[in-house]
Amino acid sequence: MEAFVTLFLIVAMFALLGSGLWIGLSLLGVALIAMEFFTQRPVGDSMALTIWGSTSSWTLTALPLFLWMGEILFRSKLSSDMFRGLAPWLNKLPGRLLHTNVIGCTIFAAVSGSSAATCATIGKITLPELKKRGYPEDISIGTLAGAGTLGLLIPPSIIMIVYGVAANVSIAKLFIAGVIPGILLAMLFSGYIIVWALMNPGKVPAADARMSFKQKLYESRHLIPVVTLIALVLGSIYSGIATATEAAAFGVAGSLLLSKIEGSLNWQSFKEGLIAGCRVYCMIGLILAGAAFLTLAMGFVGLPRQLAEWIGVLNLSPFGLIMLLMVFFIILGCFLDGISMVVLTVAVLLPTVQAANLDLIWFGIFIVLVVEMAQITPPVGFNLFVIQGLTKHDIVRIARNAFPLFVLMMVAVLGTYFFQDIVLWLPRQMG
Amino acid sequence: MHSILNRFYQALMALACLSMLAAFGSILLGVAAREMRWDIQGLDAYAGYSIAAALFLALPSTLRQGDHIRVTLLMAKLSAKVQNVLEHLCLAMATGVTAYVAWYACRLVLVSYTTHDVSPGADASPLWIPQLTMALGCIGFFISFLHAWIARFQGSEFFVVNASGEMARTE
Repeated sequence: MEAFVTLFLIVAMFALLGSGLWIGLSLLGVALIAMEFFTQRPVGDSMALTIWGSTSSWTLTALPLFLWMGEILFRSKLSSDMFRGLAPWLNKLPGRLLHTNVIGCTIFAAVSGSSAATCATIGKITLPELKKRGYPEDISIGTLAGAGTLGLLIPPSIIMIVYGVAANVSIAKLFIAGVIPGILLAMLFSGYIIVWALMNPGKVPAADARMSFKQKLYESRHLIPVVTLIALVLGSIYSGIATATEAAAFGVAGSLLLSKIEGSLNWQSFKEGLIAGCRVYCMIGLILAGAAFLTLAMGFVGLPRQLAEWIGVLNLSPFGLIMLLMVFFIILGCFLDGISMVVLTVAVLLPTVQAANLDLIWFGIFIVLVVEMAQITPPVGFNLFVIQGLTKHDIVRIARNAFPLFVLMMVAVLGTYFFQDIVLWLPRQMG
Repeated sequence: MHSILNRFYQALMALACLSMLAAFGSILLGVAAREMRWDIQGLDAYAGYSIAAALFLALPSTLRQGDHIRVTLLMAKLSAKVQNVLEHLCLAMATGVTAYVAWYACRLVLVSYTTHDVSPGADASPLWIPQLTMALGCIGFFISFLHAWIARFQGSEFFVVNASGEMARTE
């Protein structure tokens, strides 16, 4: 009977999602069916109460503010300033300005919570600049697609907030846990560019005009605003002065100030940024509201406990479990966006993960890495969509260009599994 | 009728933006209060109510802009005729679900009001007041889906067609 209920709900879920019903409403719909037919609870009232409780929480407040901050920075000159500040230093490295993709995304990721925003903001500057200088488009696109996903792993991160709320883990600790894996992954990407450039020396255009060290240093003044903003947001979290939510408010204030100083802030751009922030939050919030009620319904039906029991019967090693989940998430990522994936699965998977004695912070970083991989696999991958919007190239070609970076991410997942301290060392140092 | 409704959605969106600003303001005020040792109670709770208001009040306008995501992968593979039937079905289901949510959101306000439910936090606000924004937003969401469905029957366009093709920058 229980197996039948589970199977029925899963089929209903895929039928609703597949029919094209809005994702948040599909989740609500399945939850309604589950509650109505398989429990004795008052459905409508517990729905309204759950939705209200989950959407009016203090922890969640960080999410709309980080989204708004991203929208403000997208409308500022931050990314072109970063390109000017970084470019002079990269001319000597094999691969030269291709590294602006990776380093630019890494830096921008530290002020942005989303990988699509990172990809769009950096890509709108680097892709035209690299093309103008004659860099092969395939490698510029591939490295941008891969590096853009760092927006999820390097704090602040929208998906970490969503996971932290769902799994009841400290968001500040999750943020800090993402720092070292994020930097290591960026180094892997840069390493890939260096190897590629050494193997294809003819394809990298000549360096820009040489500058003296003093000139380079002077050009780097363009990096000061973004570095200040990073220090403000991450510094306040790491030092324990501010919670993630307060750091988000500092971030908004800082980015408003930054755009004011550089002159891109006016009433029009302020209003646009605010409305765009509200809309993006609304879209995510509808999914979160649906997922909150679905989680409650699944709990009443007993699905997470059953799943943990079934997987327990399989007698997998933790490593086997992680590999199984990685494959499962990448397949799921072919149809769903990252946030829907996390909210749909985390509540159901938590008992299983806890039974396997995996650290919940480590598991959060694992999920973020796997969602990153899903971002650059077709047919549904937000970074691919963004780059498609920027270049008008076909999505399959972009995915092919990004494939080597996909492999590197898989290496990173294995790395964090075998050396869990990469993830867990820094949060342990926090007060 | 279309333009009255569209103005209604825009008005709700403007309120949503104000709520976002209110959340931002109350968090900064909270930090200032802690540093300066001012005695202001319950700012955390106000920030929470504000973002809830921002979320619900923005629902109709976000729908009209086509920003709420859905899985269109399978839909795109079908013939135009089947797509049309499916679109009607989706709008019907969405209208139904949002009507249900709107009804119970209103009931929540009523229940909180009649039972004098107050926030467990330091603010101790009567909960029906912030919950009004959820009820209002959910009613607006229901109306916008009904609007979209009727527009579908009439063959007019409810959704804003985005010329620039800009992506929702979500994650």
